[in-house]
Amino acid sequence: MIQDFSWIHIIPILKGAWLTIQLCFFSLLFGGVIGVILGLGATSKNKLANVLSGLYIRLVRGVPLLVIIFLVYFALPMLDIGINFSKGFSAVLALSVYAGAYMGEIVRGGIQSVPKGQFEAADALGMSYFQKFRHVIVPQALQYIIPPGIGFFIALIKDSSLVSIIGYIDLTKAGKVVSNLTFNPIASFLVVAAVYFVICFGLSKAAYYFERRFLQTNA
Amino acid sequence: MNLVFHDIIPYIPQLLSGLAVSLYVTVICMLAGTVLGLFVALCKSSKNVILRFLGNAYIELIRNTPLLVQLYILFFGLGQLGIDISPLWSALIGITINNGAYTAEIFRAGLSSVPKGLHEAGSALGMNKAQIFRHVILAPAFRTAFPALTNQLILLFLFSSVASIISLEELTYQIMNVETQTSRTLEITLIAAVLYYGCSSIFVYLSNAMAKKVFKW
Repeated sequence: MIQDFSWIHIIPILKGAWLTIQLCFFSLLFGGVIGVILGLGATSKNKLANVLSGLYIRLVRGVPLLVIIFLVYFALPMLDIGINFSKGFSAVLALSVYAGAYMGEIVRGGIQSVPKGQFEAADALGMSYFQKFRHVIVPQALQYIIPPGIGFFIALIKDSSLVSIIGYIDLTKAGKVVSNLTFNPIASFLVVAAVYFVICFGLSKAAYYFERRFLQTNA
Repeated sequence: MNLVFHDIIPYIPQLLSGLAVSLYVTVICMLAGTVLGLFVALCKSSKNVILRFLGNAYIELIRNTPLLVQLYILFFGLGQLGIDISPLWSALIGITINNGAYTAEIFRAGLSSVPKGLHEAGSALGMNKAQIFRHVILAPAFRTAFPALTNQLILLFLFSSVASIISLEELTYQIMNVETQTSRTLEITLIAAVLYYGCSSIFVYLSNAMAKKVFKW
């Protein structure tokens, strides 16, 4: 049965938008953890940690997100490691692996932007590794990490549209379903695009004011 | 678990033809997108309010919506309007429009990095605006923009894989095709990763070599 596109169809699209936001939030969270580990690894004096983090970052950044999603959703379950790969789990895992590499690069850049003298000063004060990062490096590195981090989060929201192809009902997939239901792809996808635009544009404007309000005073 | 690659050998030509389509789309869209981006960047930095608004609107609209949705609108939307468009043309047009918004921002940064003194020096020599742009501004702006353009080229190559979803027979499409025919999921996805990674490394190498040759001053 073909339905006409009407206001009722906005509801599933908005539900998809909520799932997209949740998906990106958790992916950024886990990706951020991976990114911090990689960033610390890439800037550490340990050669092995250096090489491994560099390898991860370069490999993941050299492969399309679509291939990462396929690898996680179709290929990993073939290893038979006894994890239940639901669509949601695969989507979060793939996006986290992807976000980890980009966040790692951002964290590395942030840590390296802190002048070398600050590291030496902390060492001279006899601070432990943890104290050095907690009290000296992180507060200064954050101003170099947060703006590109928010930029990446916005990119991640757009990139997360690719998980729709493994059938996860995100914003894009919801639009596809509505489009198939109503045979009106123009209206469906324009609404989807408008929702993405509101989320991403709103977020970037909010980030802009946030940065101007808080981050400059820190510098 | 053991990896079996010999099932995939007969499909190598298919994979290579997919890679060729991916590279073709990347090169065409990068060239067209660079021209488009330069044009939009000029619109955005012009004194005309309407041109500036249009440039801004284009950049914000494209940069704040996913490429996949843009391709859907183009591919299925034009179909709905009764215009029969092939996946290749949708991909070429859609990715070029998408890429143009990103290169426009890159060029805007490049153009604004050119010192004002160069503009003034140009007009002191009696050049008109077009001459100043062509002979004085373009080269240093391009040099500043070049590393970011290289980055954009690699992102473009990786994101051309999205066109497989609108059934363009590029590398990712062929990968999925071979996967369904051989069921060697893990092996074929690993090959895909290697091919994409290898090509993007070659791109980085080539563009670094080119930057060294071209930007000598």
